[in-house]
Amino acid sequence: MKHSPEDLEKFIHQTLRALPARRAPHSLESRVRAAIEARAALPWWKQSFANWPLAARVAFFIGSAGVAKVALMAAVWVLAGFDSTLFTNAFSTQVSWFEGAAAAVDGIGNFCSMLFRNIPPLWLYGGLAFVAVMYAALFGLGAAAYRALYSHR
Amino acid sequence: MNDDTPVQKPPTGVITPADFTTFMRNYQDMVFSTATRLTGNEAQAEDISQEVFLKAYEHFDMLSSSPTAGGWLKTVATNLSLNHLSRYRNRWKFFSEFRRDDAAGDTDVPDVDFAAPDTFFSGVDADERRAWVEEALEKLPEHQRVPLVLYHFEDLPYEDIAKKLGVSLAKVKTDILRARTALAAIIARSGARHETLSA
Repeated sequence: MKHSPEDLEKFIHQTLRALPARRAPHSLESRVRAAIEARAALPWWKQSFANWPLAARVAFFIGSAGVAKVALMAAVWVLAGFDSTLFTNAFSTQVSWFEGAAAAVDGIGNFCSMLFRNIPPLWLYGGLAFVAVMYAALFGLGAAAYRALYSHR
Repeated sequence: MNDDTPVQKPPTGVITPADFTTFMRNYQDMVFSTATRLTGNEAQAEDISQEVFLKAYEHFDMLSSSPTAGGWLKTVATNLSLNHLSRYRNRWKFFSEFRRDDAAGDTDVPDVDFAAPDTFFSGVDADERRAWVEEALEKLPEHQRVPLVLYHFEDLPYEDIAKKLGVSLAKVKTDILRARTALAAIIARSGARHETLSA
């Protein structure tokens, strides 16, 4: 006897809702307990940032800002050709932070464009073609492996 | 299912291993069932259940006294299972969907024969019935099983399922209809096999 989609829906709904919950494996409880203990045993600096002590979080922010500033100053100094006058000008006031950052970004951009212009076109196109061929080959290999190993499971 | 069972213990302020163990024992079957039915894989479901309870441990102050702890756990289990599936799907999307017919509007599903629900499982004990249906669910392809489970077990409407899965409403309806048909067919075959064996 054929049934309508509504009958089918009702049948499947009744069948599925009559299922009892599946019993969780015995190992689950011990796994969770072990994971909780392992987390608790971690030193604070290996836990997530939200669990760090407040003082450590503040110190981390201040330290990060300091490192960023030093890195920026170093970049400007290098890009200015180790010219201490330019460097002093760039960092004479705290306001010059932004100018320094802009100069660093500008310098990096100039360096990249110079590098790009100086690469022989043959190398550039050859490199791009090589990357494209390797990408296609690995992609094909992956697809073949997937079809052979997984798609029929 | 025990998803609505409130935890009986009052909040203590300090989490003791015994409190959390009791909490886990109350809900672990429900969490594991949710994850298993969505992923169709017990090993992955155990990993997901572990992750759910680790999250629950982080929020245990709130959950230990909450009457909606079951709902919270079920939602987290569902979301983590869907995240897991989408991560896996994205990894293999291109390969696995080479041959997949994604035509959303195609709802031409053949009728299927099945006995009336109240008579279909007569003469089959509860364990055997559970095993048939769980096995049939696991046999469904993921794109049919997931919306079917969300619709029939999680009581989500079609629109919410489409949003959660990021597919069209028509595709969700088609996949669920096909899943029901396939499930009924698998169960019917199991029944026929059972009758042959017991004859």
